[in-house]
Amino acid sequence: MFYQPKTVEEALAIKAELGLGARFVAGGTDVVVQMKKGRLSLERVIDLSRLGDLTEARLEDDVCYVGALCAHRTLETWPIPVLADAARQVGGPQIRNRGTVGGNVGTASPAGDVSVALLALDASIDLMSVRGTRTLPLREFFVGVGKTAIEPDELIVGFRFRRPKASGFYKNGKRNSVAISVVCAGASVWEDGSVAIALGSVAPTPLRLTGTEAFLRERGLGAEAIAEAARLATEEVRPITDHRASADYRRAVSGIAVSRLLTQLQGGAHVALV
Amino acid sequence: MSLSSNPSVPASLGDDQATYPLSFTLNGKPTEAQVHPLSTLLEVVREDLRYTGTKGACHEGECGSCTVLVDGVPMNSCLILAPQAQGAEIVTVEGLADGETLDRVQEAFLACGAVQCGYCTPGLLISAKAFLEKCPDPTPEEVRKGMEGNICRCTGYMKVVDAVVQAAKSSKGGCHAE
Repeated sequence: MFYQPKTVEEALAIKAELGLGARFVAGGTDVVVQMKKGRLSLERVIDLSRLGDLTEARLEDDVCYVGALCAHRTLETWPIPVLADAARQVGGPQIRNRGTVGGNVGTASPAGDVSVALLALDASIDLMSVRGTRTLPLREFFVGVGKTAIEPDELIVGFRFRRPKASGFYKNGKRNSVAISVVCAGASVWEDGSVAIALGSVAPTPLRLTGTEAFLRERGLGAEAIAEAARLATEEVRPITDHRASADYRRAVSGIAVSRLLTQLQGGAHVALV
Repeated sequence: MSLSSNPSVPASLGDDQATYPLSFTLNGKPTEAQVHPLSTLLEVVREDLRYTGTKGACHEGECGSCTVLVDGVPMNSCLILAPQAQGAEIVTVEGLADGETLDRVQEAFLACGAVQCGYCTPGLLISAKAFLEKCPDPTPEEVRKGMEGNICRCTGYMKVVDAVVQAAKSSKGGCHAE
């Protein structure tokens, strides 16, 4: 009923044996709420809180690594603005102390602030099972609302990304804290001139703006190119109207977010737009 | 299906086990409880162990009224499965005072009248305690950011901010929070 493995290997072996009926629980900040609301049954729990190895996060000059069990608070002080500012926007302090990056991404909320930040860092995700480890670009991991490319026996173990030259995060929400994003956005630029832009709450999944990025690869980050990129972004998003905002509003905010982020990144500055 | 047939799977908690033996430190005292694996730490603390200072309100991790310290870090006890607290040091509002001597945050809340209905107060006190450890001499703005995970529906934030600033006054040093 409740398993508390001490190693990743033990956790994977239990999952392989129990299959779909068993659920990994890390911080529990989402799963426990869903259970209490009767939206999911937690008959067999594999508690990940004893797997210390996966809490590790390494900030390197080239490739950075974030373990799946790294709490949001760990990232709040990282000198990578898109990630630090996204982490600071998650819930309140108590949630950030408890909730993990792997849990946030695994939930696959279209509005996941940290998912958007990792997408905007062009991150890859490492998945492990008793069959071995595989790595996917994070943009291929999200396949629908709450749906991911993870196999039933797999565990998210961590994320890697190239350290950008500059990055920024933008959030539009109804309150300063404990508010789900109406639109959130992240962008990064690297030394080689590549740009990544991601938006949240504007499509069934956190969205990479690959079309807008391709345009910017051709045109650079001049004022005219940024204005056109912002317009392209409003065409690339696929928002819906819900109780938080209308589709039209989200579309407009998407353009503004992209325009502001790119304008700040143009100077190579590390930016915070929250 | 038999887990014990797989040597890499610990057999300590099989499917037939209805309760989990939880052993942890609660307000400095070694504490044991027999808990349902899907019960929350909030439920065990309040209902099984009768430490009713900790309140449950939203049960979604939004209001902060159930905040406790887990190994010194403030967390929502409504979101923690009780067995996850195995071996942890938990501090609830009952653990703040030293006997009859109130903690400085409790004194400051009293002095500033930072209480209305009082439902949110235990969580606010725990969050304030943890916040001042990280940030001993905060500005009112830093207090607002540091306490953002606690909601008071009586609209009583001003006096709470005053109280946290006042509790900090005996401390030296700047804000170490980020």
